[in-house]
Amino acid sequence: MTTYWPWWAGAVGLALVTVYHALATDRSFGVSSAWDRVVHWRRERRLERMDEEFADDRALAEALAAATAEHFGPGPSPVRQHPYGQPGTLRVDVEPPAGDRPAATSGRPAPLFTQAALLISVFVGGLIAAVTSGRFELRLDMGPGFRSLVTADPVWMTVLLFAGGVLVGFGTRLAGGCSSGHGLNGCGRLRPVSILATAVFFGTAVAVSFLLWKVI
Amino acid sequence: MRTRGAILLATVVTGLALGFTVANIGFGDYAELNRMFTFQDLRMFLSFAGAVVIIVCAFAVLRVRRTPERIHGGVVPGAVLFGTGWAISGGCPAIPIVQVAGGYLPALVTIAGIVVGVRLCRWANARYFHVDRGSCAL
Repeated sequence: MTTYWPWWAGAVGLALVTVYHALATDRSFGVSSAWDRVVHWRRERRLERMDEEFADDRALAEALAAATAEHFGPGPSPVRQHPYGQPGTLRVDVEPPAGDRPAATSGRPAPLFTQAALLISVFVGGLIAAVTSGRFELRLDMGPGFRSLVTADPVWMTVLLFAGGVLVGFGTRLAGGCSSGHGLNGCGRLRPVSILATAVFFGTAVAVSFLLWKVI
Repeated sequence: MRTRGAILLATVVTGLALGFTVANIGFGDYAELNRMFTFQDLRMFLSFAGAVVIIVCAFAVLRVRRTPERIHGGVVPGAVLFGTGWAISGGCPAIPIVQVAGGYLPALVTIAGIVVGVRLCRWANARYFHVDRGSCAL
């Protein structure tokens, strides 16, 4: 079938998506991370609520001061030189969280609802592409390629798709990203971890694909 | 300052464009995918590699900030598992969504597998691996 885009159109399209998202949101996007957060939506929602309680630094500083007062008793500021205690340890206990806070929030991923919206809009985008190109067709198999290369048996197809899906879900989260997160966003930022991950998953997929094509 | 609404809107635009582009390149087509991985047809490979080259140049010109992330023990084994799963099922995590959108109903099974795998990884990591992926895992 030759209805697919030529290589340069695909390259420009993928690059536009990635650059647009980086400029519009100042973040990377990653489909596997979106899956991770949507699948664990209960825990993520709880974390987001806790995060909102400490949204502004002043609330955090007050909470820390209250916790410190509760722990050490009301008295002189812990930062001030203490005549008989160990000021060094107090300072270490109290100061770092307040200093860490801005750095931690600036790299925060997009909210849970946004991640769910990413997955849904990928579906809608795919649907528009399939319908406008005339490729849309409801079917109960994965196409002639899968049938000839992997299996034609529907039971085996189901088992292999499920097993492959588990490997994809488990592997991408263990590696910390997939072809969009590591491949496009990470490699685009020349991050060593992403270049390593992309080389390894692409290399493995090449090896397994050759096995499926030539051996099995 | 970017509001939540602005980020949501931008992400929806990204998702629509990503789904549209990935489907039109042909990543949802298992035969095309296998031809890419076995180097019988370089079209999709060049799409991906070309995109990375353009992105690297654009980010360098625009001085997009980099978030440092160290290489942890999960990267190589995770990538090996992912590569194997991708070659067998034809799904990197976005592609089964695009496949279902194109009418390939069995890709719902791949999605079910991904959901199980993602859950399994978080559980196993908390219990056995203890890999610290940093605060900004992709």
